[in-house]
Amino acid sequence: MDQQENLRVLAVDDEEGMREGIKRILKKKGYSVDTAEDGESAIDLLNTNGYHLAFIDLKMPGIDGFKVTEYINEKFSGRIVVVIVSALATVEAAVEVTRHGAFDFLVKPFTPTDLLQVTERAVKQCQLLQEREKYLSELNSERNLSRQLINAMQEGLIVLNIRAKPVLMNPKAEFFLEKRFTNAVELTDLFQDPKIIEATEQIIASSPEELKTRMFRIEQKGTMLQIRIDTLIRGKETGGAIIIINDVTEDWKAEQDKNRFVSMVAHELKSPIAAIINYINVIETGLFDNQPEKIHELLNRCKVRGEALLELIRDLLYINKREAGKVEKSIEALDLKEVLKEQLEFYKVQAESKKISVIFGAEDGPYMVKADRSDLDRIFMNLISNGIKYNREGGTLSVDLKREGGIVVVSVADSGIGMSQEDIGNLFQEFFRVRNRKTSGISGTGLGLATVKRVLSEYNGRIEVQSEPDSGSTFTVYFPSDDTKHLRQE
Amino acid sequence: MILEGKVPNVLIVDDDVDLLEGQKLFLEDHGFTVITAISMKEGIEALDHFKPDIIIADLMMEHYDSGFVFCKKVKDNPAMSMVPIIMQTAAPKEIGFTFDPSNPKQKQWIKVDEVLTKPVPLEHLLGKIHKYLGEV
Repeated sequence: MDQQENLRVLAVDDEEGMREGIKRILKKKGYSVDTAEDGESAIDLLNTNGYHLAFIDLKMPGIDGFKVTEYINEKFSGRIVVVIVSALATVEAAVEVTRHGAFDFLVKPFTPTDLLQVTERAVKQCQLLQEREKYLSELNSERNLSRQLINAMQEGLIVLNIRAKPVLMNPKAEFFLEKRFTNAVELTDLFQDPKIIEATEQIIASSPEELKTRMFRIEQKGTMLQIRIDTLIRGKETGGAIIIINDVTEDWKAEQDKNRFVSMVAHELKSPIAAIINYINVIETGLFDNQPEKIHELLNRCKVRGEALLELIRDLLYINKREAGKVEKSIEALDLKEVLKEQLEFYKVQAESKKISVIFGAEDGPYMVKADRSDLDRIFMNLISNGIKYNREGGTLSVDLKREGGIVVVSVADSGIGMSQEDIGNLFQEFFRVRNRKTSGISGTGLGLATVKRVLSEYNGRIEVQSEPDSGSTFTVYFPSDDTKHLRQE
Repeated sequence: MILEGKVPNVLIVDDDVDLLEGQKLFLEDHGFTVITAISMKEGIEALDHFKPDIIIADLMMEHYDSGFVFCKKVKDNPAMSMVPIIMQTAAPKEIGFTFDPSNPKQKQWIKVDEVLTKPVPLEHLLGKIHKYLGEV
């Protein structure tokens, strides 16, 4: 073992023979030894060099051995092992020496063996002290680290003792609950909900075996906080509780949106079925057994509603597929003028059956856009179809194409039933349909315009509506034109 | 309310024209005078000239809660506060739309006497109407 080499010793004695003797004996054993002839120079040396072990003569002029020992204990708090060297070999003296903070006692006169034995014990003590210090400093830095981690946590953390009194609260918890932590804070200051207080008390009262976690949600000024209460185990006993607070506002809002959507979907799916069952129910009562034409009329309505339901399911599945990014697109340069012509051709028969005259206006052209063809169909066929459905017999449907800077502007104007400003405000919401006597016979899913808006936004396009009740509506689509193509063509 | 010798008046408010049609045909066949309204707005207008003995109202019409607003307007009118209202809705109970008209707390703001889930079998609806009109 070479630990002596790492150990630095100070020998303080006013007798030169004594201090040099100690130095000589210990140097032989590999210690590095300094000497001091009195208390003052000892203190100077102690402040200059780092010592592990000090042999201190008790009786010295000026600052005596006790004073130096006290100084060491005060200044270096236990990091230097002190051995008092004295001729006063009594039990009382030994007690007195240890009372002043010395580790051991070496009686004058002493032999080299005496000195080495005491040194050996003192060295062991030195090692113990070093280990302890290392451990303490590790513990300290670990404590700091945990504290830092707790303070840096994104979750709010509250620790409660066995009496349900908060003993720790990290800054995030203070932020969430808008309360500063002090020693006076009680659980009831932090939470108003008696259920949370009760659950916390129950958890603290329970044994660790019946480990329970309780979750709560509290709403505060538009934020939703999730409160999770767990048992705090100390050793094998329940030592209190830990409360973890999370901000779950976004999840909560998404959940609400999803619930609202699902609830709307359920409502929209159930309504046509209710109407169909209702009609069948009427037929079953035998009310029209003598009027087969009336039964046919009701059955036809059932068919219409069934078909609309099917269309709704198809639209829902399409929206879902599109949201999931599973709709394949092939983006190509397309002439919107040609696209609209084809689309209007498709609706020709439907328009004619309502005696609606279709006017298509597009100066020159082409009107190039970069898009997926089926997306263009989804946008403009929806608008054309609406322009026919919500039109009046003998009305007009005008589709106009023009260019405004880098934007292709398509307007689809009908001379139909129109709508109120309030209806316009809700028009692009999923499942919104203008519902009144005039629209009651017109089937639709309530998803058409919501989808138009959604698809358009993927192309950085937008849509505007102008409408007047009983005189008609104009939908205007702004679609970015494929500039490069457009410039080349001109 | 016993309506001996009188043809009971029913107002049905629902935004589904087919549902209105089916229920109207059925109830008329059972001796009721039926007026239908396709929105809360129309329903309120109908009350100006039609005094129903019972009202059947949908929940989600112009707005998701139009039915409640309509029922509250009816029940808050002293002249009509005694008219029983049966609400029928396709709104799914599973997602939050749960009301129990027998719960006094809910009854405070949900001014309906009964909530039925669509589709409501016509015979069932008829039974409920008879119950509220006091004809057993």
